[in-house]
Amino acid sequence: MSQLLQAAAYGVVQGGLLGLVAVGFSLVWGVMNVINLSHGALAVTGAYLAWLLNLHFGLDPFLALPVVAIALFLFGYALQRGLINLVINAPIFLTLLLTFGLGLVILNSLQLLFNADDRTIETSYASQSLALGTVNVPYGRLAACGLALAITVGLAAVMTRTRLGHSISATGMDRGAARLMGIRARHVYAITFGISAALAGVAGTMIATVGSFNPTTTPGQLTLDAFVISVLGGLGNMYGALVGGLVLGIAESVGGLVLTGTWVNAIAMAVLILTLIVRPSGLIGKAQYSGRVEV
Amino acid sequence: MSASPLALILEGRKRPGRELLAEWVRTRRLSNSWAAIALVVGFAAMLGVQQVIEPGTMRLLSAVFMFVALAQAWNLIGGFTGYASFGQVAFFGLGAYITAVLMNNSHLTFWLAMPAAIAGGVLFAVLIGLPLLRLRGHYFAIATLGAAEGSREVINNMTPVTGGGLGITIPTFGDQAPTPYFGKPGFYLAFLILAALSVAVSALLARSRFGYAMVAVHEDEAAAGAVGINTTSVKVIAFAVSGAIVACAGSIYAFQQIEFYPSDVFDPSFTVLMVIMVVIGGSGSILGPLVGAVGLELLSQFLRINLGSYNQLIFGAIIVVVVVFFPQGVVNFFRDAWRLRRISLLDNIRRYRL
Amino acid sequence: MIAPSAPADAPVPILEVRGLSRKFGGVWALRDVSFAVAAGEVLGVIGPNGAGKTTLINLITGHLRPSGGHVLVGGIDVTKQRPWVIAHDGVARTFQIVKPFRGVTVRENVAIGAMHGNHRDRSVREALETADQILELVGITHRAGSAPSELSVADARRLELAKALACRPRLLLIDEVMAGLRPQEIESAVGLIHQLRESGITIVAVEHVMKAIISISDRIVVLHHGSILTSGTPDQVLSDPRVIEAYLGHRFARRRAT
Ligand SMILES: Nc1ncnc2c1ncn2[C@@H]1O[C@H](COP(=O)(O)OP(=O)(O)OP(=O)(O)O)[C@@H](O)[C@H]1O
Ligand SMILES: [Mg+2]
Repeated sequence: MSQLLQAAAYGVVQGGLLGLVAVGFSLVWGVMNVINLSHGALAVTGAYLAWLLNLHFGLDPFLALPVVAIALFLFGYALQRGLINLVINAPIFLTLLLTFGLGLVILNSLQLLFNADDRTIETSYASQSLALGTVNVPYGRLAACGLALAITVGLAAVMTRTRLGHSISATGMDRGAARLMGIRARHVYAITFGISAALAGVAGTMIATVGSFNPTTTPGQLTLDAFVISVLGGLGNMYGALVGGLVLGIAESVGGLVLTGTWVNAIAMAVLILTLIVRPSGLIGKAQYSGRVEV
Repeated sequence: MSASPLALILEGRKRPGRELLAEWVRTRRLSNSWAAIALVVGFAAMLGVQQVIEPGTMRLLSAVFMFVALAQAWNLIGGFTGYASFGQVAFFGLGAYITAVLMNNSHLTFWLAMPAAIAGGVLFAVLIGLPLLRLRGHYFAIATLGAAEGSREVINNMTPVTGGGLGITIPTFGDQAPTPYFGKPGFYLAFLILAALSVAVSALLARSRFGYAMVAVHEDEAAAGAVGINTTSVKVIAFAVSGAIVACAGSIYAFQQIEFYPSDVFDPSFTVLMVIMVVIGGSGSILGPLVGAVGLELLSQFLRINLGSYNQLIFGAIIVVVVVFFPQGVVNFFRDAWRLRRISLLDNIRRYRL
Repeated sequence: MIAPSAPADAPVPILEVRGLSRKFGGVWALRDVSFAVAAGEVLGVIGPNGAGKTTLINLITGHLRPSGGHVLVGGIDVTKQRPWVIAHDGVARTFQIVKPFRGVTVRENVAIGAMHGNHRDRSVREALETADQILELVGITHRAGSAPSELSVADARRLELAKALACRPRLLLIDEVMAGLRPQEIESAVGLIHQLRESGITIVAVEHVMKAIISISDRIVVLHHGSILTSGTPDQVLSDPRVIEAYLGHRFARRRAT
């Protein structure tokens, strides 16, 4: 019983973190119908940046977050403006290929710069845990989860309350109409991608704080997680990524208790495919994003 | 009803199959058979080339042939039918594992294991195709990606049968071997035949009624259904033919490798390579994937040998540049340029720009 | 389950819909619509924007699933059949928003209909020959080699019609093939429809162009908010005060009266 509780608690905090990884990915997908296969590479870029700041200046990763976020926002803005906007109307496999190529360039550059070793950001609080009865929750993970929650709420507020958010959603729904309203789609798309990259960087920093990362396997894994979570949660709702992340996090950690080997990964894929078939708009997504063709 | 000319047109005529065949034979000309002739000549030339090259080059060209087959296979479902599968590697891994398990555990010969692998590929295509081909665009791409990742995990965890993460070995030498190892010349021939067959199959399909049905499904499924095209079966058949070719490639590859792991034969970069080759060459044609596969495989081998640790970086950059500058593929680009007598990369960029 | 709605000795209508309904979200786009079309007849369907005319066609051809009701073609229940099954039953249609196959030429577009819409053309070559004849019939032979995107509005509508005709239908459903055409173009389209009808095709025509619909229809059904407002001969329908109120407007009625 206590094992189950522990697994569930771990699943919740891990789920929050996963949600943070996916929220930017889901934003870009929902607004401009681009699946950004370089999302994981951007997250790892953020992780390296925070790691460098910690290594050279002893900066705490939580304090490094604004720097990471701003740097990745600028990088993301430039990528969208200079590259992705060029193929935004192309068939999907072209945008997929472009972002895949981008990811390859980014993560191989990182590997050439920093080699392929596993890295982690050491902090004093990473090893300490909050004890709730029989359940232990590491402080670092708890903080990361809280941050994910705060960021999701903040993003939802930005999207529903601010002028910028309205421009982004309007462009996502109907680019032609948005243009008539005087919204510059190129700029709005670039800002959207910048926000997504910044969120990826923040997620990467958190991953570096609570665990470890490397330039070879981490990016692919994060992109795949973001994929699964966005589908699970559904597009068009800022809380979709959080819900999807929690579901995946809890399912994986509880599933890990009962299943041997890596069966839990197979189950995650089965859930992904079943979600797509049965409820293509995700758990709480908007139906307009569902991908069914046949009646 | 009166026999007005209009009524006659709408009535149509019924002709027996024999008459159609006779007409087909009668109408053969150089102008409509050049593709078949080119294929035969190319095949013969590659057989000739084999006599004069060293084993290392033979191995390189075997890989090129394999990717020609893989690219043609992806083009059937992704190019002609318009369903961009990001999980074709599932068929590759499945074909490899069916072959290895049958040869290793059941001591079947390769000549039984390979057809079984193809049958397995077709079966899997139908099983996952029926539910997944109802999804569109990105959703289909992810679902197939998920199917591929999922099948790898299943193989990975079926340790008693597949050896799991420890890999599997095909007995190839001595009394244990169900089929003696082909050696480099043998695999050169095997992959060459596979490549030629997949080009021939694609070309035949493309020129047939089925080829038009695939194009119609690609352009508009509602309209395709309205003119009597069974869109479900067109999609599933295209997916299955593609899966059969990929599974066959996986089967030969497994035998060639002798020993491998799930992560080798389910490597998503196989899928990505198929997609890139088709896109770079030009999707929805026969020549495009052929040119893309040959060009890209030779290029990536060149990069691997000459640029060492920079090769992946350069490879990624090449993908980005090609997608931006040749979104319709190199073959289509030059064909259009020839037809319109005008070459402009700027037109290409304008095409999909925001 | 489906009781015959006519005496046993009456000819079976080629198309019959019974209680056909379709809901989108909470809104009924079509609600409890029933009518029958006899073989050889031309039925006009009119109604204001959003009345449910396109929905009606989509339900008949299997492009939408009904929320309730039945569709019978030649007396056989085809409700919930997939579009290609219904097409092979001899029902062809056009789309209000034209749907050409953009990747191939105009001629090949029509050939695709010929090679898949029925079992007559068994080779691509035969289908292309048929396509040439049909292009001539609808009058766009000179565009045979063009890409569909290069066609004018009128020619794109003709292509839409040619694709449907290539299926050799016994029942043809046309959805606003005359909208946005110039007067002469409308005249030639009306002529073509008369020709088709004389060759034995039954036609259900959705149309906003009143002059055309009056000249081609034997009977007219008026849809309003998803239900049948009234039906009858063109004269009966056009003088019905409810139709004037809901759709035609008083100006039209006055003009017709003079
Ligand atoms: N796919 C759909 N999803 C939601 N609502 C729909 C859909 N298709 C049609 N509707 C609604 O159903 C109603 C009937 O639409 P329909 O297209 O059948 O009208 P129509 O009579 O063809 O109009 P028009 O003259 O403009 O073509 C409209 O209110 C429309 O908004
Ligand atoms: Mg309509």
